[in-house]
Amino acid sequence: METATNQNTSTSQNYRLEFLGKGSEYFAIMIVNWLLTLITFGIYYPWARAKRLQYMYGHTALNSERFHFSGTGNEMFKGFIKLIVFYILMMGGYMLLLTYLKSPLLAILYLYLALFAIIPFAVHGSFRYRMSRTSYRGIRFGYRGNRNELVKNFFKWLFFTIITFGIYGAWLQMNLRRYTHQHIRYGDVEFSNEGEGSEYFLLNLKGYIFTLFTLGIYLFWWQKDIFEYYINKMKMSKGETGIECHSSATGGGFFLLLAGNLLITVFTLGFGKAWADVRTQKFICNSIQMQGNINIDEIHQTEEEYTNAFGEDAMDFFEIDLA
Amino acid sequence: MNPTVAALYFDGQSSASRPVVLQFDEPFLELHLLFAGENTMVWPLSELRFENYGQVLEIRSQLHSGALVKTEDPGFSQAFIKAMKQNKHVDVHSRLLGLGFSKLMVLALVLIALVGLAYFYALPPLAERAATLLPESFDEEIGNIVMESIIDEEEIDVEKTKVLQSFASRLRLNNTKALTFTVVHSEQVNAFALPNGQIVVYSGILDGMNSPEELIALLGHEATHVNKRHSIQMLCRNLSGYMVVSLLLSDVNGIMAVLADNAQQLHSLSYSRRFEKEADEEGLSILMNNHANPYGMVQLFEQLEKENKFSVPTILSTHPLTTERKENMQKIISGSSYEIKPDTNLSSIFELLKD
Ligand SMILES: [Zn+2]
Repeated sequence: METATNQNTSTSQNYRLEFLGKGSEYFAIMIVNWLLTLITFGIYYPWARAKRLQYMYGHTALNSERFHFSGTGNEMFKGFIKLIVFYILMMGGYMLLLTYLKSPLLAILYLYLALFAIIPFAVHGSFRYRMSRTSYRGIRFGYRGNRNELVKNFFKWLFFTIITFGIYGAWLQMNLRRYTHQHIRYGDVEFSNEGEGSEYFLLNLKGYIFTLFTLGIYLFWWQKDIFEYYINKMKMSKGETGIECHSSATGGGFFLLLAGNLLITVFTLGFGKAWADVRTQKFICNSIQMQGNINIDEIHQTEEEYTNAFGEDAMDFFEIDLA
Repeated sequence: MNPTVAALYFDGQSSASRPVVLQFDEPFLELHLLFAGENTMVWPLSELRFENYGQVLEIRSQLHSGALVKTEDPGFSQAFIKAMKQNKHVDVHSRLLGLGFSKLMVLALVLIALVGLAYFYALPPLAERAATLLPESFDEEIGNIVMESIIDEEEIDVEKTKVLQSFASRLRLNNTKALTFTVVHSEQVNAFALPNGQIVVYSGILDGMNSPEELIALLGHEATHVNKRHSIQMLCRNLSGYMVVSLLLSDVNGIMAVLADNAQQLHSLSYSRRFEKEADEEGLSILMNNHANPYGMVQLFEQLEKENKFSVPTILSTHPLTTERKENMQKIISGSSYEIKPDTNLSSIFELLKD
């Protein structure tokens, strides 16, 4: 047995990521979500969200084996309530400053501060919750980042971003990505991301300038570059073995995807969104190529169970892209 | 003997799968997992969750974190899902989904139709009823906010404002709260009433008038909007309409924005046909009560008709309605008896309002 395992780990493996969902199926899910949300006056929203995520994860497959999202509406409902309480407190403070101190400047400053302060907590909570509820072949994902460390770092990066008038924003994004990704586990597989702020900044600067000079046409190639940068910097490792990712997406591919989605959504008055979402998911899965020698039959569970759904809705609320 | 099928088992500790034989013990509501070497696991149905992807059935037990069995036998899947449904281990969402695409679409269309009916027929009267529950102080507050923004933007004609005040003080406008009149210097043919009793008249509409009766007709019309709290009713109506729409689109944040937006645009708010009709008819009876010539109302509409030919109408609702409203006035006048007592004081004050 031992020798067979060793042999296995050194040989390169095949990985095939695919999305097996269909627009019509996803549309049916959305219709039922919509019906139930309507007749419960919106209370069903967290359950609807859980159903959507379950469909998306359940139809994403690696080597023909499906992912699984085990988060429930009940959990997300709790997160939703916490978020509403936070929102009420925030707006309450805002109104208080406005009516008693009569200082709109202070009130707006407070609002911005509160909104920014919630971001690292939301990122942390969201990663912990989402990862703990995702599994593949019976093995859970997990996020082991330290919240206080993330909060401290985030404010440091935010401070640099403010004093550089936003230029440091590229570093902020990459640092945040590196931090969160290197704390993701899939059983005994560790994730990492080697994105660098300087490279990411130059990539965006180039994209911006080219887009300007090509009257927007370069936008799709810019998108492709960003996607490629995200994917190519992702790595997984387990002991001596590892997996590297690279993107096979093209600018033309992005053009067809985005233009197609726009047409679908516009010509169906928004009802075609289900098909557009499915197209996007298919495109992403088909564009991610993985090479390496981790044997996905030999992963071992390492993550503790975890229960808390605060971040899940906070992310939604502030519309931060997890990508 | 219960039927058995081959399946794959993941234990939740390792990603490796191993073969297992599944046996569904329906009477005892249990799933038996028979492993090679006489090992057996028993999963009670009440602890199970399942996912059905076409041919593939994935079953997970809540008692064994991460563990799952996966089978592709259609007969087994059917029997298992049926038992889960019968024992109420399937949620409403999945049951609805099970209706199939066409039934779902019919259901959705019926619901849309119901919402549409409620939106157009049940909501407006309810919202208008709700407006009567709001305290008068709300009218004051909203009106003051709008008036402040107008004072900033428009040029107020102080002299003519005084003249209009004294003109109006000679009239009985059936008002329950104090009315304030303001003349704004502008080419626009426009006038509007705010819920706090502010009535704003643009010099453009005054310049087009030929007789004091027309002005009385206009003031009577606008005063009725205040007396009947039309703008607060419209505000409630728009807001409740928005709440329904945002519910449909599951957008919870936008309601405050609409409130703010509506308050800002209250002076350009178009009233419903019913409100305009009411203001026209009440305005006409105010004209008659003041012993002025009721044809002042007809002349007012003629001025508006003329104006409509040249520009986008901003006052008294939309274009093609003006003629219809004028005819309604003519019909009412010809069917009623009235007494005209010309007021020379009013006429001379009226002349001061014209350049
Ligand atoms: Zn009117």
